[in-house]
Formats: sequence, structure tokens, C-alpha cells
Amino acid sequence: MRRFEILEPKSIQEACGILAEKEDVKLIAGGTALLILIKQGIFLPKTLVNLKKIKGGSEITYSPADGLRVGGLASIYDIESTPVVRQHYPLLAQACHVVANIRIRNMATIGGNLAHADYQSDPPAALVALGASVELTNRNRVRKVKLADFLIGSYETSLEPDELLTALLVPPPSPDTRCTYIKFTTRSSEDRPCAGVAALVRYSNSICEEARVVVGAVSPAPVVVADQDRVNGIKLTSDLIREIAQEAGELVDPIDDLRGTVDYKRQLVKVLVRRALTGCVAEAAA
Amino acid sequence: MKIEIRTAINGRELEASVKPNQTLLEFLRDDLHLRGSVEGCGVGVCGSCTVLIEGRPVSSCLMLATNIEGKQVTTIEGLAVGDQLDPVQQAFLDNQAFQCGYCTPGMIMTTKALLNSNPRPTEDEARDYLSGNICRCGTYAEVLAAVKSLSGKTPPPPRS
Amino acid sequence: MTGLGVNVSRVDGPAKIRGWAQYTADVELPGMVYAKVLRSTYPHAKLVRVDASRAEKLTGVVAVLTRDDLKGMNAYFGPVVKDQPVVAIDRVRYVGEVIAAVAAEGRDIAEEALDLIDVEYEALPAVFDPVEAMKPEAPALYTERVKAQSFPAKSGFRLESTGNVLSTYHVEEGDVAVGFRESDEIFEDVYTSQKIQHGHIEPHAAVAYWEPSGKLVIYTSTQTPSSIRAQLAELFELPQSKVRVVVPFVGGGYGAKTHPRLEPLVSVLARKAHRPVQWALTREEVFLTAHCQAAVVKLKTGVKRDGTIVARQVEAIYDAGAYALTSTNTARNGGEVAGGPYRIGHQHLTSYCVYTNTPPTGPYRGFGVPQVCWAYESQMDDIARRLGIDPLELRLKNLVHEGDVFVTGDKLVSVGISECVKRAAEAVGWERDKEQGFRELSGKVRGKGLAVMIKTTMTPSNSSALVRLNADGSAVLLTSSVEIGQGTQTSLAQIVAEELGIAVERVSVTFPDTDVTPFDQSTSSSRTIFTMGGAARQAAHQIRQQLLEIGSRVLEADVEDLELVDGFLEVKGVPEKRRSITQLFQARFGAAVGNMVGSYDNQTTGGLDPRTGKGKGSAFFFLSACAAEVEVDTETGKVAVQQVVSAVDAGKAVNPRQCHLQNEGSMIMSLGSALFEEMVFDNGQPINSTFLEYMPPSMEDHPKVFRSLLVETPHPEGPYGAKGVGEAGLGPVEPAIGNAVANALGGIRFRDLPLRPDRVLTAIGSARGKEK
Repeated sequence: MRRFEILEPKSIQEACGILAEKEDVKLIAGGTALLILIKQGIFLPKTLVNLKKIKGGSEITYSPADGLRVGGLASIYDIESTPVVRQHYPLLAQACHVVANIRIRNMATIGGNLAHADYQSDPPAALVALGASVELTNRNRVRKVKLADFLIGSYETSLEPDELLTALLVPPPSPDTRCTYIKFTTRSSEDRPCAGVAALVRYSNSICEEARVVVGAVSPAPVVVADQDRVNGIKLTSDLIREIAQEAGELVDPIDDLRGTVDYKRQLVKVLVRRALTGCVAEAAA
Repeated sequence: MKIEIRTAINGRELEASVKPNQTLLEFLRDDLHLRGSVEGCGVGVCGSCTVLIEGRPVSSCLMLATNIEGKQVTTIEGLAVGDQLDPVQQAFLDNQAFQCGYCTPGMIMTTKALLNSNPRPTEDEARDYLSGNICRCGTYAEVLAAVKSLSGKTPPPPRS
Repeated sequence: MTGLGVNVSRVDGPAKIRGWAQYTADVELPGMVYAKVLRSTYPHAKLVRVDASRAEKLTGVVAVLTRDDLKGMNAYFGPVVKDQPVVAIDRVRYVGEVIAAVAAEGRDIAEEALDLIDVEYEALPAVFDPVEAMKPEAPALYTERVKAQSFPAKSGFRLESTGNVLSTYHVEEGDVAVGFRESDEIFEDVYTSQKIQHGHIEPHAAVAYWEPSGKLVIYTSTQTPSSIRAQLAELFELPQSKVRVVVPFVGGGYGAKTHPRLEPLVSVLARKAHRPVQWALTREEVFLTAHCQAAVVKLKTGVKRDGTIVARQVEAIYDAGAYALTSTNTARNGGEVAGGPYRIGHQHLTSYCVYTNTPPTGPYRGFGVPQVCWAYESQMDDIARRLGIDPLELRLKNLVHEGDVFVTGDKLVSVGISECVKRAAEAVGWERDKEQGFRELSGKVRGKGLAVMIKTTMTPSNSSALVRLNADGSAVLLTSSVEIGQGTQTSLAQIVAEELGIAVERVSVTFPDTDVTPFDQSTSSSRTIFTMGGAARQAAHQIRQQLLEIGSRVLEADVEDLELVDGFLEVKGVPEKRRSITQLFQARFGAAVGNMVGSYDNQTTGGLDPRTGKGKGSAFFFLSACAAEVEVDTETGKVAVQQVVSAVDAGKAVNPRQCHLQNEGSMIMSLGSALFEEMVFDNGQPINSTFLEYMPPSMEDHPKVFRSLLVETPHPEGPYGAKGVGEAGLGPVEPAIGNAVANALGGIRFRDLPLRPDRVLTAIGSARGKEK
């Protein structure tokens, strides 16, 4: 690839300082998306800011009161394999596990994944379903944004040019939740998702207390197709599931691409949402 | 612009100067003449460039060379000790798990990482882990046979 | 016979598992520089201006090559017609065509230099579809037909003089008009196959330098070293002895690495640079360098109610891309077997090779046959369904038999096809009259499908082998056959070892080096074991004769009473009366010195007359069958292949394990093109030219059950009866899967590849709509 200069900050603070002072610099974390763009000549940066030499920034901590905090530099594999994630956020672990391959998961960071906002990705849908937020840091302040608001569109986020995505925050999980993540591919099984469905159901005494279904990889940003308002306090029968699934097909705004046409994706969403919810309910009943 | 790094490659410590735009794969092949790792796709899909960083498999074609600073790197050349092949290499020979051989070093490295993290993988677990290494010659069944033959025989790696 | 039929360990194994195997991009020469090329962004345009003056000035740039450097030399090359320029001269004909090249001290510098080359295009109308390209009003890629042509007269095809149809092949038997009148039912459909990538994991690469004496040396990842040498010699007006082509291990080829592709440019650049130049393609560039021809196959078949095939008419249109290479041969190859492995009295088979403004092609494993096999085997099942005949029965009723005369005029020998399809059907659990029954289109449905195939091998062709026996009883086989992964270095060693009665471990096989190794037509067409194996056997046989003659004098026995066993010459039945090979050398030379040499040029004869399409089409025929079982998710349209059985007639399996591995490779490759692989273009712009957007099948895509069966009907002219296997298993895989899907879905027929889930789901929706 063509030549460029590189700055290697040793701390988040130093990185923020660079972003505040310099123009025409680009952050690089895992590099699994950015280096491809550079190799293809689509993106030609003069200077990269390498986040991989920063000590720390990748810690994963959990407490029942505060929930999960994942440093932006944590790798996808770090997340999927950490015991607290597997135990308390299996939906997130599942969605991370199906990303690409083991090598990419070792290299790619969650901060990079969310900031790059490639719509054909798995973790964002699961994280929106979990009500996640992101922590954005610049030299002067730290702010939190709901992930659902942060992800605006395809390769589009509300990240400011002088900001770093320093953490992913996930609220404490509700007890007795059943979840499932479905990644559907239409080509090689190693392909990116044609559609991804994240479903969470808290189902107790035949009453659905909480349900969230988020469809990813179909529209420019993850789409919440079923939420608290839709199902709170109602028995989640198979008829209701079918209804929700049909609606889901109309709520998404599919992108026509190599993995599926608009019509196909719409049809597919209906099927996958139904299967995801049915799976959660069956699990809860068992 | 050059960056000075200190690293360990196949157990040997060394200091090197790398360019910002140099990938780890280029560093291994061009600077260290370790040409067992090869480029197949350049986008992290085929796995032919797989090396281990601190025991974890990565696509060296998508890693900047500067990022091996302070890390232990293991390449295919680092598996055998003299004439003594690594058991994974021997299993690949015994099960004929190669044809043209171009994807083979990457496949072996990923297999090594699989068995280090999961010494007794089921077939499904092995498929899941290895599915990111592409072989166009079609030796998948033989690779799985090699993994099966090694199941339960891999001692866990020494704690560092 | 001892060494044959044995699963001898691959001799290249130890190097490959250590990462010590040398591929072309591993070659490093002192002073070597790196090449990068600038490629056209237009599918068809006049090249108005190419200005590389700014690029030349970039520090680290050693040489820049444009059309200006081609003045005063031959600028065009090509194995059939010399239509391809070293770099584009007056126009570009596909997105990705090379316009200029830079050699620099670093790859990054070379890339940056490309940014400094100014190009001005004048867009021309372009055509991307071969059927459109055949029309007289279509934009013409060539304003005049290239004059320089070189191909054997009996290649079967005729070059057309104008238009985008480059060549035509035609063969007939009987009179199809009569046949269709006599038929009870007629079936007429159009089938399409898509552009696909060969997908060899090692991209093309070449390293070239010029010796001060004016000799060109080139290391290249190729399947055809002798052809490269001949064409480079012609290009540079050098004697072939001043061109040396060396081929290390090749990381897969499958036909994409045949004939000159990188070699002319890198050689010209090296000459200008006065330094060795390495040019290794990126994966994206591989997409622009070779791919498998897409095809449109129009198939009309007439049958009797009892299932007898009476007449078949085929028109197969192959998309050659912008440059000919050997697409002419591909189209002929598909055309001559387009009727299938069946006894059909009336046949009318035509194939066309058509230029379009898309990248150049390369013979893809199967060489034009999978495209027609997809058509005739898909239709065969439709015929079976309409007539109410079991698909296996229908095939067995019509298949060719030993001794039949094929449409090309070949008398068929070594015809194990019926056994192949019977065994494949049995292995997949075929139940007669069950597969084409009713299916409820809900949930997940299963189905099984069968298919058969016939294919020819490159004929005529030439392979030469030279064997040198050393005084210690070890031997070297000098051959230009390439180790592309098929295990040729091992199986050829087995043949030589068998003939000389020595251990396989004592035979080493060289890499191709045209200074040293004799001529080989090509490592392709699955011809190596048959033709080079035959040459190696004959060459070794000559040495065997020499040893027997010396031995008969020394042991005072008749030659007929002697045998070579384990490095010793023995009198049959009297093992005490024997001499070691070393002793025989001493008897001949007075000391353990010198060599005994055997050399053989194996020229297979034949070819097809372009006027009739007939002659001797093949030195041997490939015959194979495939049975597949699929599960279709009727709600998503996704097809999951549950099991595949490949049954191939190998003649005689020299190394059975290698044969099975080739069948497995054929299977998984074809599964990809059956289900999801396809190159996608938008007005000539390739839009999925990376492995992210075009993924070959992974381990997860490999069916849980795959079985490879070898049928052995020895071929009288093959070494020990062996025939080629490399491509044999591939052709019937796509239609076997297509037929399994059709049976799973109660007869829904897909005629276009790949069997994408959205296509399947749409068809299921339509079928359900019709039911209501």
C-alpha cells in the first residue's frame, strides 16, 4: 500500500490531543477494515494515528449494579470469550462469535467496529437490543450516547472528528432473559450477514414482560422491530409472534446488495424474526 | 519514516526498523526472509498469512508490522524444532491434508491455535474454528481428520 | 506390480508442512525490483494519451513501460490468435486491461508512481453479454481480425473472419429434423452458467531478468512452461534456447495459469529496467486476469415415450472476454460433448466463442464441459419427470457403452460410465421411482439428484520425459510437468519406480526448467498421468531394456527370464542369481560411473477436422457420475448440501488416495459455483473482485458426507491403464445438485446458476401461487 506517516500515542489522552490539534489524520485500531480501504486506494491518508500502542483501553469490567463496560480497544474475541460476557450477556457473546473468522476477531476492536459502522455487521444489532451506549471522549470531555442514536447509517455515526470511542456500556441484564442471535448468510457460510436478528425475551408466568427484537445488516443501521411497547404484558403467542414478524418485514428498509435483493431481504426478515422469537419462547418454556 | 521495534520471532528476540505502511506479512517475508507465510487475498479472508501473536491467530496481511512491538510472534517456521516436527505438522503429513500447499502453513497455524485453546474439539467445534481458512484444492476432510487424530493429545501451552 | 495402486506419501509433503516450499513470489534475486501496473477504468475505449513522464521522476522508480516502448518489437501474443498486446496500444477492451507498468525499489513506490501516470480515454460503446455480442449491430471489439494465428489445423474450430464471434465449432450425426419428427416429446430450454473465478489461493506471479548474453530467464507460476518459452521466444525474436522458463511449486492453477499472462509484460519491463523484476498480482488483479467462461446453452431434445433419446440439438455460446487465449478450444471442447455421454442417433452440436468487453478467461477445471453438462443433465431429469421414468433408469437406458462410436467419430474405449452412475446412486441411497414424487413446499424438504458426464482431453498433445539412472540405482525423472497440487511429482515417480523395479523413494522428479527438462504441452486437461506418465514409463522402459541386456550377458540368461526387483536384476525363480544395479554399471562401464538414460516423446495423435467436427477427439475420455442430496429451506430458499458421491472412471488408480483427493477438490469447487459463486459486473465494471465479496467455499460449506468412488476400466493406451482424474469429478456436480433441488421442490427447475436463495425463494413463491 502507498506510504503514510504514523503517530503512536501511548495513552487515550495523548490520542485525544492529536485529534484536537491535527487535521487530516485517521485513527487506526485493529486495521481490519481501514487497511483494506488503504490497500485498494479508496482511502489515502497522509497520517494514521495508531491506537494499538496505547496501554489499557481494552479492559472489560462488570458489576451487577452498573452492568458491563468494555474498553473501546477490546477485541471482538476478548468480548466473546470473557466469562462475564458469556454468563451475563450471551446474546453479545453469540453475535461476536459469528463475526468473520477467529483471526479477524482477534484483531478487530469493538470501538473500530462501531465507529466504522459497516451495516453488514453482527455486534451492533445485539448491542442495540441490549440497550447499549457508547462513551465518546475528546480532549475536553467525555459524553455518552445511546448506540441506537450513535449509529446513523451506512458508514455514518455521530462521532465527532476529535473524538475517540473509548468504551461500550451495556446496562445490567434482566434476570430470566432468553435470547438468540441469528446470522443468516446467502453465500459461503463465512460470508458477512445478509440479515442478522437479535432477540431478547423475558417471559415469566406466561406474561411477556420484556421483548426486544433488532434486525441488523439489512438496513443502513440496526432497526428495532419489536420493543417494550409492542409486547409488554401480553402473552407471546405464536400468532402474535407471526404478527410481529410480518411487521418487521415492513419496518426494515433493505439495501439491495450482492447478498440479497430488497424483496428477498424483506421476506427473510419476516422468517428470521419469527424463528428468533419462537426460539426464545421455547427456551423460556423449557 | 522508520519505527524501531523490539519483538520476538519464533522465540528469538530481535530489534528491527519497520515502515509505517509495512504489514507484518511483508516484514516477515521481505525483511526476515520467512516466506512460509504467504499472501492469498490481502483482506483477511483466506488465512494463508496466519501467524500467532502471543499464541493467537491473526491475519498478518492486515496487521501493521509496528504492532508486534513487545509481542511474541510464531510463524510456521517456528513450529518444528530441528528435525522434530510439531505434532500438527506430522498429522497433516499422515493424513495427506494438503495438495498445492499454499494454504497449508496458515491452516497448520490455525490448527495449532485451535488445539492450544481447545485440546479436545468436537468436529463441529473444529469446523467452526478452522472455517476461516480457505483451501481451494479442497482438503477440508483431511484437515479435520488430522485434527481428530490429535484430539486429546495436545499438552496445554506453557503459561507465560 | 508393486508401486502402483499404493498410496505413496507425497514427496512434496515435508517441504509444504514446514513452509519451505518455494513458490514464485518467494524467488528473490539480487537487485530485484517490484512491478505494479495501471489498469483501464473503461470497458472499451480508445487510448488517446498515455503520459508517464511524471511517474519516471519519482524517487525509487527504476523503469516505466507504456505503449511507446513497444515500438519496433512484436507487441502482440496469444496461444491461438495473437490479439493481446503486451500493454494496451490503441485501445482498451475491458476494465482492468493493463495500460502501463512501473518497476520500483518498493511496491509502495511503484503504486504511488501509478498515480502519476496520466491517461486520456475516448469511450467506445461496449458489449458485455455474449448473445448480444453475436448480433451484427453489436459494438465490435476488433475492427479487423487479427492476422497472426497459430494453432494446429485439427483443433476442430473455425476462426470467423469478422464480428465478435471469434470461432465456431460444429459436428453432426444423422439429421435432427428427422429425429425431432420421429420424437414423441420435445424439450427445448436455455441454460446459463455464470462467470466464476478459478480461486487458486496463490495469485499469479512472475520474476524475470535478462542475462548479459541476451538470454531471458523467467520464474513463473504457470501450468505451461514450454508454451511460455515458445511464445516469449517468438515475441522477442529469440531462439528458444535463449529463453529459460523455471517453474517452482504452483499454489493451484485449475487452468487459470495457462499460456502467457504476466510473462510478456514482466519480461519487457525487466529488459528496460536492467534489473530482475518481480510482478505478483493482488487478488483483485487475479479477477482481471483469468476467469471461467460464462455460457448460454440452448438445448433441444427429442425423445420417445419409452425414454429413448432420438435427437439432440445444442447451441452453446461461450463468453471469451476481451482476448482469445484458448477460449476457442474451450468452446470446441464443450461443443463436441454437448450431447452428453449418450447414444443419440441424430445430433447437431454447435458452439461459439464470442468476444465481450470483460476480462480474459482461462480454461477452468472442466474446460467448457461443466457448462454443457449443467444443461443436458438438468434437462434429462425434466425428461424423466415428464415421461414418468426413474432418472437412473433413463440414463442407464441411453448411456454409451464400450465400443460405441461417439459423435466425433471416436471409438469409445474404457467406458465405465454405467457402473459409475449405478454405484453413485447406490451410495447416496437412491430409491427407484421415489425421488420425483410429490413434495409439500413447506418447512425443510429433501431431495436427491444424479448426473453423468463425458469429457475429452487435449488431443493431440505431446509430453516428453527423460529418465537418468545413476550408478547407485537411484533415478531422476526430468519433466516439465508442473506440481500444481495434484501430486504429479509423486505419481510420476511411482511409474518410473515400477518400471525400473526400484523403491519410489529412490526416484526424484525435477521441477520444470526449460533449459533442462524436455517439452510438455501443458499441465492441464488432466493429461499428465496419461501422457507424461506414458512418456515416463516408456523412458524408464528403455533403461529397463538396457539393464536386462547387460544382465543377460552377465548372468548368462535369456532376457525373458530376468526381472528387476528392489534394485536387483534377478533370474526368475532363482533369487541367488542376481546382480545389483551398481554391479550392472560396473559390468558396462568398468566402474560405478556414468548414467543410463531413457528418453521418450509421447505424442498422442488425433484432432478434429474443422470442416466436419470429426476425427479423433480424445486420447481418452473422462466418464463420471455424481449423486447429491440436498435440503432446501422453503422459507429462506437456502440450499444445504447434505451428501455428495462422486464416482469416476480412473482407468487404473496409480495413487488411489490422490484420486480421491482430486475428486474432493472437484466437488467442493463445483459446490461453490452451484450455490453461490458468481462474478458480478455493472456495465463492465467488476464489483465483487475481492475474497470478501467473492468467497470460495469454506470448511463449513463442505457437506458432512462426501464419498469418492473409483471405477477402474483400464485404458489400453494409458500407463498401466491409467487415465486422468483431476477434472473428472467436477462436471456432474452442478447438475446433480440442481436435480436434487428440483426433486426436493417437486420439480421446480432452475436453469440459471448459481442457485441463489433469492432465486429459489421466488420460484417457490410462484409455485405456491400456482397451487392456489
